[in-house]
Amino acid sequence: MNVGATLGAASLLTALATALFAIGAAAVGGFTRRPQLTGAGRRAVIVAAFFITAASVTLGVGLLRNDFSMAYVASVSSREMETPMKWASFYSKQPGSLLYWTWAMSLLMALFAWRTIPSIQWGAAQATALCGACLTAFLIALVFFASPFHASDVIPADGVGLNPLLVDRGMLIHPPFLLGGLVSTALPFVLGMTALMAGRLDGAWLRSVRRWAIASWLILSIGNMLGGWWAYTVLGWGGYWGWDPVENSAILPLLPLTAFVHSMMLQERRGMLKLWNLTLVIAAFSLAVFGTFNVRSGLVDSVHSFAQSEIGAYFLGVLAVVLIGALVLMVWRVPYMRAEHDFESLLSRESTLIVNNYLFTAIALVILGGTLFPVFSELFVSSKITVGPPFYNSVVGPLLIILVALIAIGTVLPWRRASNATIARRFAVPGVITLVAGVVLFVLGLREPRALAGVLSAIALVVVTAREFALGARGAHAAGIPWLATISALFARDQRRYGGYLVHIGVAVMAVAVVGSTVYQEQTRVSLSPGESFQIAGRTITFMGLDQRDGTVNGVQTEVIAPLLVKHGQQTEAILEPGRRRFTNFPEQPTAIVALHTSLRDDLYVFVQGWDDTGRADFNVFVNPLIVWLWIGGGIYVVGGIFAWMPLVGTVPVRESVTTGGGAQPQQA
Amino acid sequence: MTSMLPRRALFVALSALGVWLALTVCSVEFGARAASAKTPEDAALQIEKRLLCPQCTNLRLDVCDTTICADMRTEIKDRLAKGESDEQIIAYFQGRYGQRVLAEVPAKGFNLVLFGWVGVAIALVVVIGTFVLVRLRRTATPELAAGVLRDADEQWLDEQLHERDAR
Repeated sequence: MNVGATLGAASLLTALATALFAIGAAAVGGFTRRPQLTGAGRRAVIVAAFFITAASVTLGVGLLRNDFSMAYVASVSSREMETPMKWASFYSKQPGSLLYWTWAMSLLMALFAWRTIPSIQWGAAQATALCGACLTAFLIALVFFASPFHASDVIPADGVGLNPLLVDRGMLIHPPFLLGGLVSTALPFVLGMTALMAGRLDGAWLRSVRRWAIASWLILSIGNMLGGWWAYTVLGWGGYWGWDPVENSAILPLLPLTAFVHSMMLQERRGMLKLWNLTLVIAAFSLAVFGTFNVRSGLVDSVHSFAQSEIGAYFLGVLAVVLIGALVLMVWRVPYMRAEHDFESLLSRESTLIVNNYLFTAIALVILGGTLFPVFSELFVSSKITVGPPFYNSVVGPLLIILVALIAIGTVLPWRRASNATIARRFAVPGVITLVAGVVLFVLGLREPRALAGVLSAIALVVVTAREFALGARGAHAAGIPWLATISALFARDQRRYGGYLVHIGVAVMAVAVVGSTVYQEQTRVSLSPGESFQIAGRTITFMGLDQRDGTVNGVQTEVIAPLLVKHGQQTEAILEPGRRRFTNFPEQPTAIVALHTSLRDDLYVFVQGWDDTGRADFNVFVNPLIVWLWIGGGIYVVGGIFAWMPLVGTVPVRESVTTGGGAQPQQA
Repeated sequence: MTSMLPRRALFVALSALGVWLALTVCSVEFGARAASAKTPEDAALQIEKRLLCPQCTNLRLDVCDTTICADMRTEIKDRLAKGESDEQIIAYFQGRYGQRVLAEVPAKGFNLVLFGWVGVAIALVVVIGTFVLVRLRRTATPELAAGVLRDADEQWLDEQLHERDAR
């Protein structure tokens, strides 16, 4: 008997039984109004997490101990792999990835059952049953369709090792964040469905969902950003986002989730958009399940997808149950979803938030259509037509520019409504600055209309956000806080608001980087013998000759390096070492070693495309302007997101006369 | 009011400085980039960027390392040397491998469904969005006196939210 495989399989089976118990206990407890039974179900969710953790630890120990008697370990790891990379082996194939997904979900749900469910007595039974149902859905897939705990028929002396594309340190963090972000969409979904089932569609569920939704949005955002960074630094095609079907599947749930973290403010403040908010959390989770189905069904081809299997059909069934169940509940509860207040003016922050939501919806629909189009083309005209980046860039690009501009406009507009004079006053300075910036950029040579629009939208967003900080700081200073401490006082007063503003600044910085690196990217391909040079972007680059070195770990057999001396004038700027890596167990799958020289101005990005017996090598060289700002903007976005997620810690008084100009208190709506 | 003016001037000046700094970083010789002459390698590259690998997904021909892509790149250079135009070369590869090698989906035939979807999706969002906005605004309250709702409104709402959280 294989101890590891048996222990893992038994843990999963026990977890499945426990999750089923949680559903049953919560359902009976809810119907018979016996809180003890509901409490038992809640504790069962936590116990299920314990058993799934035990299964995950079993697989981890198997990987660390090179236990090739477990078929999964033999297929993803090998003896000479570095210990940290075995963490990447854990989720590198379908069964392990599904286990990681279920494990992350179970831990989040255990935390949810421990901290949140006791605070929502109005829906404890429903929330517990839904947690149990989500866990059950994924545990069935693990136990019956894709278990990582099958024993090897013949125990091999060594394992196959990690897929060469995944042999990168970035794989230690990118998939955990992305998968964690996708599974975390389950919590806002559970709370939304709980509100529907319990008929509590007032602000009660929003108070509980806020931090879960922001956490989910933040983790998923980080996962997507890390995905872009990994693609840029490892895949070797000069870009960071290729609109691959699986990349699309990862960003799709983020769109309704981002819309939700904005539109929930409208329900909190104005009691509006109740139906819409529920639709968004259901859409986010449904799209996460769709992504799971998409990646695992073989429906679309992708460098990221797992092998085709029957598990795809299973997840399609899960998706159908989620959508039909949600639709039935929403129709049932429509009478509960009347808005508590009316929308007062088109020129208000509410209106821009609503239009903003529509844009997110339009973008999601376009991306979904492009992702599924190859399936439909194969179905109707027997030809799998690829929808490449030009389609997305031409359709989604302008929508994103409008989105950034709308964020800027929304930041300037007040809540509810304001007089024309107030609006004109608020728009004056940012408008003039943006106009001046537009003229200056045009004179400098930024003439491509879309690039100009994108950069100006970003500049406007930074200006209006800076204005918000300046106004807040002025108010805090008037309340007696020293100037240097005003910004921290603002965050202490309302992390969510000012964290959100930081996120917007991050978005603006990223937008400029995207424009710079796509519209103004330079590319050339050169074939050089040792000692030969070429010039690009003011640099002279000299090939120093091929160098071969033996591999050391992680299945690398050999590395061929083609060093390049980069000079700017007479000054040496860098020595780049692009090359190619061959793997012992994957001779047909060599990978590129991307060489990067990064500065605030641009990235010099080089990879080798081949060489001949004379030592002449072919280089693909890119100059990507401003790309480092994509990562800097991403960092600002994440820091802002953390502030927005953090609990509110209190308020710092702001003297009313300074911020109001003597304005009257609005009537309570 | 008079004390406000220097502050506003300071804000405008600081903003202008910020824009100038941003422009300094952004000024990556925008104009100079497009000026270089087109070499045969560049001409081939322009065509390669319009084609995808027939084996991989969404991977452009110019950056793909498969043998088939290396052969296609050689074929492009040969055909360019023979004097064929970009469109002729692209049509040749489309005839050989089908539409899946085209980076840009041509707006014709069944592909019109994709563009139609985009149009319908955006139109639906606009129509439904407008309907909802108008419906939400139907019973709007009369316009309030000019200038009475400014930052105090937001502050008041924030405080309400804090109080609700505290409860």
